[in-house]
Amino acid sequence: MRIRLADVTKRYLREGSLRVASDEPPALDHISLDIADGETVSVVGPSGCGKSTLLRLVAGLETADCGTVHYDEHDVADVAPQDRGIGMVFQDYALYPTMKGAGNLKYYFDVHRRTEDEARARAKEIADIMGVGFELLLGQQTTTLSGGEQQRVAIARCIVRDPTLFLMDEPIVNLDAKLRESTRMEMAKLLKRYGITTMFVTHDQQEAVFMGDRIALMRAGRVVQIGTFDELYYSPVNLFVATFFGSRPLAVLPATVADRTVRFGEAAWPLPAVLADRLEPGPVRIGVRPEAWRFAGAESGGGARMAVDRIESVPAERLTLAHGTVSGARVTVVAPAGTAGDVLWLTPDWEAATFFAADGEHALHTPGAPEFF
Amino acid sequence: MAALLPKVGMRQPKLRLSRAAIAAFLGLGVLLHLLPFYYIVSTSLKPGAEVVSTPPTFIPSAITLDAWKLVLQIGDNAEIVQLVQEPFWVYFVNSAFITLLAVGLGLPVTALAAYANSKLQSGRSARLSFLFFIGTMMVPFVVTLVPMYLLTLNFPFTLPDAPTIPGTDSEFPTLRLWDTPWAVILPAIFVPFNFLLFKGFFDTIPDSVINAARVDGGSELNIFRRIVMPMAVPVFAVTAYMSFGSVWDNFLWQLVTLQSPDKVTMSVATYQLIDRLSTKGTTGGGAAAQAEGMSDLLNSGLTWNGMMVLAILQSIPIFIAFLVCREYLLRGIKIRGLK
Repeated sequence: MRIRLADVTKRYLREGSLRVASDEPPALDHISLDIADGETVSVVGPSGCGKSTLLRLVAGLETADCGTVHYDEHDVADVAPQDRGIGMVFQDYALYPTMKGAGNLKYYFDVHRRTEDEARARAKEIADIMGVGFELLLGQQTTTLSGGEQQRVAIARCIVRDPTLFLMDEPIVNLDAKLRESTRMEMAKLLKRYGITTMFVTHDQQEAVFMGDRIALMRAGRVVQIGTFDELYYSPVNLFVATFFGSRPLAVLPATVADRTVRFGEAAWPLPAVLADRLEPGPVRIGVRPEAWRFAGAESGGGARMAVDRIESVPAERLTLAHGTVSGARVTVVAPAGTAGDVLWLTPDWEAATFFAADGEHALHTPGAPEFF
Repeated sequence: MAALLPKVGMRQPKLRLSRAAIAAFLGLGVLLHLLPFYYIVSTSLKPGAEVVSTPPTFIPSAITLDAWKLVLQIGDNAEIVQLVQEPFWVYFVNSAFITLLAVGLGLPVTALAAYANSKLQSGRSARLSFLFFIGTMMVPFVVTLVPMYLLTLNFPFTLPDAPTIPGTDSEFPTLRLWDTPWAVILPAIFVPFNFLLFKGFFDTIPDSVINAARVDGGSELNIFRRIVMPMAVPVFAVTAYMSFGSVWDNFLWQLVTLQSPDKVTMSVATYQLIDRLSTKGTTGGGAAAQAEGMSDLLNSGLTWNGMMVLAILQSIPIFIAFLVCREYLLRGIKIRGLK
């Protein structure tokens, strides 16, 4: 099912207030999204950016102040969540505490007046998909289950009905790291198997990248950018997108472009021809990812001088990281193994550097995805 | 119970001593509370003459069931017909009818109102209706007594006589609730305090559970019945017990609204009996008449021992209600299935 949101705005009342607070920023601010049939879109963003509200709005649990939501060709503004045929997994699982696992799965069939046999057959089918030991969980009171078990029951409850749309609100955020990894795998397999349109809300960028065909990055009620990981990572529309992705911080260097050279602190580099043609002279900010630095000789004055605070090695990833400052800006670089000393001489890899406006945060030039293969 | 008396440190003599002191103190309190009950039961078993003797006896000199027999045949006995006009069970049934209906109608209404306020309304409307409901708690009962009485006469109007429709001689159609059980039942249906209890509980149910049930396709009423009510069983038990007690024991309002002898409830009938007993026993001009009245009563056999029987009979339903809800009352409002 194709999901289209057009210009959706949602404003909340302040809790316990009798007056409409007009100064309150809207929870959702003119959001437009188009999710293709069978596509999985991860919605990611810092907490409080409105991603859960967006999901509830698509589910029909919230109403938009203005704008429309379409399921395929139908405007669903007047369709109750009961009639939308969706499956939703909540962050706190929201299992019915007075029912056993099986009762949780069966409730859908009860209220839709389906037969007992059908409910049981479907539950059995789901138990096979959910894997080993799942049927044991169904016989237990949900309050006695561990977080991971509750989560499996919640997902089972969501898929037992053959939904036309999956909505997942941070479903695995409460699990421990190892369980999260395996559950993520299971869920990706499930989504692939069913080929159902899915919105997957998370605040974890890795999870978003793993689950989503496309990623929608939100901030303060707006979708800042939507696209594949490569698009967001290599062609960010602004500084926020660039700093959000990547597990290690992007270095942001205030610099000046003049005479086809870029000057940063004491260092100056001639710009490659492509860049020199595109960039207006004047102040800019350069975003350089930790892996996009080139090292000049340890002694010579080639490039910018980095005062190293700390050298960290990450054995699991066979990495050495150097943290420090370059002319006052904080920089983290991926250094060659065995790097030591207090000073490194660095040059940005211009093919991977992003240029941002000095006075705003929009991108002036992005490198685009490299051709690896 | 285990948490009440922790085992930690019980080897220390000081702690043992203080615990014994606490137990003794509490035991004394229990005894003090049980003393009236003992008097009620023992008095109901005393013969009529012993009941009015001074000083009162602590232990009955003889145990007799006369008073019990008398009360159970109160309406049949020619002597006592002057005191009350109906057999005792009429009052009991009146009370039971009013109480069961008030609780049976009141709990769903109050619970649904609280649920709607907690989960279906939001923002300003929720706040306003909450204040409206709670506001009814802020007005003392005695203040509303007279207006409420007037309301029961011609229901939508607070007038002793229904106004005539302008331009005609006929009166507005009104509901005459006064001297019917509905005059007691209807005002007892919505209980703001129970509303508060329910609302407090429903607020603790995560919205996501309700939303999950909505996504599953449950209608709002079905969600309430299948998901919320099973969670709220302890709250239902507490509120049922409390409103049962308050309606059953209510006296003033029932005295104001129920006048026909066949409609009077237990609490009012008991009061009327006490009133007539004491008037007959103490007034009537001069010591001679008083003594005569007293001897009449003694001959009929009904004195305070009969009152005690009535008191026992009146408290039995409350006791049964307590037994039914005991588990949940003792557990307090500890809610199963919520973190």
